[in-house]
Amino acid sequence: MGVNAPSVRLPLTFVLTGLVALLTGMSWLVIRPAILAEYHYNQYVIATTHLFVLGWICSVVMGAMYQLVPVALETKLYSEKLAGWQFAFHVVGFIGMVWMFRVWNMKQVGHFGCVFATGVGLFVYNIARTLRRVPKWNVTATAVTAALCWFSLTVTAGLFIAIGKCSYETSEGLATAEGVRTLVGGLRQLAGFMSHFDAISAMHAHAHLGGVGFFTMLIVGVSYKLIPMFALSEIQSTRRAVWSVALLNVGLAGSFVTILLRSPWKLAFALVVIAALVVYGIELAAILRARKRRVVDWGIKYFLTAVGLYAPVSVLAVVLAWPGLPLNPFTGQLENVYGFLGLIGVVSFAIMGMLYKIVPFLVWFGSYSRQIGRAQVPALADLYSAKLQAAGYWSYLAGLIVTSSAIMFSSEAFVRCGCALLASSISTLVINVGMMLSHYIRPCLKPLSTSPSAILKTA
Amino acid sequence: MNPHPLDEATILQTLRQVIDPELGCNIVDLGLVYNVAILGTKVSVVMTLTTPGCPMHESIRWGVNNALLNLEGVDDAEVEVVWDPPWHPSMMTEFGRNATGVGSF
Repeated sequence: MGVNAPSVRLPLTFVLTGLVALLTGMSWLVIRPAILAEYHYNQYVIATTHLFVLGWICSVVMGAMYQLVPVALETKLYSEKLAGWQFAFHVVGFIGMVWMFRVWNMKQVGHFGCVFATGVGLFVYNIARTLRRVPKWNVTATAVTAALCWFSLTVTAGLFIAIGKCSYETSEGLATAEGVRTLVGGLRQLAGFMSHFDAISAMHAHAHLGGVGFFTMLIVGVSYKLIPMFALSEIQSTRRAVWSVALLNVGLAGSFVTILLRSPWKLAFALVVIAALVVYGIELAAILRARKRRVVDWGIKYFLTAVGLYAPVSVLAVVLAWPGLPLNPFTGQLENVYGFLGLIGVVSFAIMGMLYKIVPFLVWFGSYSRQIGRAQVPALADLYSAKLQAAGYWSYLAGLIVTSSAIMFSSEAFVRCGCALLASSISTLVINVGMMLSHYIRPCLKPLSTSPSAILKTA
Repeated sequence: MNPHPLDEATILQTLRQVIDPELGCNIVDLGLVYNVAILGTKVSVVMTLTTPGCPMHESIRWGVNNALLNLEGVDDAEVEVVWDPPWHPSMMTEFGRNATGVGSF
């Protein structure tokens, strides 16, 4: 294992949890396509969204951050033990939340949300302490720090929304300890404060905090380190990279407030976020043009296609932020497409691409890092099937196109077809991850030549 | 008495059995090995990696050390990773360029 990275088991556990959630969520959509074909403000959409966001995306992102932040920023993880505890809070929290959203018990959502938030607190503390050890501060470290702040705000906003929806018993009637009565009284006041905001606007503002502040910020920031590493290139303009992160922060802060208050100014801040993504795209293209490794592997293709999907998502953002946009069933479906393409298109596709880098890397470290030089060991690309990976890429892309079109026109039958394509793509990923893990269980080693005469014969 | 005394060609051929797992090519054809010095039964290697902060840093260094110590006639090995001069694809052999898909320089 690299000196800076934690043990292989920790990130792998998060990744496998994420894959189970992804497959479960997509199967749920195949069984019940109405979730996407109907307007999104209902218990099933919110439950499924949280399954994807917390169970799939957050699990993988957290596991990957425990692995990548120390490696990418050349430092050590603050505490692996804390990360283990966080995993327990995370799993109990998100499963409970998804289940309680499904049965629409907001009080229990709040309780499980607190369990989840405790895990997030441990996660943020652990990564923040890790960031304090970074020897050379750079744009990636800045973006990761910003992402942690936005993530904390996302979770806080989510808890506030849950509290706002709860109807607590009157605190005066409680025959309990003074502390509990004070707490319940405080929660009631908070619920009163949240009642000033429109429920759907609050939900949209909360979703943008997470989707842009945590996920997009990490995609942008971490790729400034990983894409040059994988493509054998380097950042071409640090100033451009810094501007993209700064604009993303400013645009998101403004978007959050204007979405929450239903202000017509939300279009202006949406354009700031889009400007950040354009600057990011220009820099990414420059990095790729300067790459020394001409061949772009499938993992990078997944990632770059995901980044390309920011274009239709941005167009939808402008349309949906347009002042005076009529609220009718079609614009409601456009909102569904926007959320779907953002989470299942951009973020999930990018993560799947990065998983083809992260999982082989983890398995290789676990199985072969101590054997290198003692035996012939496979390369990372030998741990899985590139053909399956390519099949997964095309079926995912087809699934996204079919599902997005079907959502727009509220076609349950075609949503089911599109999600079936996506599920088949995810299955290729699961099979490939299984192939990788088989190396973890049974490493594939061949003996080295150790005699000088034998070695020279092979020359 | 070893019928094949250690020489640079033997050492380099030995190190061709150590791969950079991300690039799928051995470190010699990648141009990562800068210098080999043989002093009796001790071998010293000066090498680099494709990028500073490479997550494979320790594994590859460890692998080079292992490969040298496994070689008959080697009792001691020293591996130094340096960043100056920085690695560039022009340091690769033609075999390395073909194996990794790196363009010509």
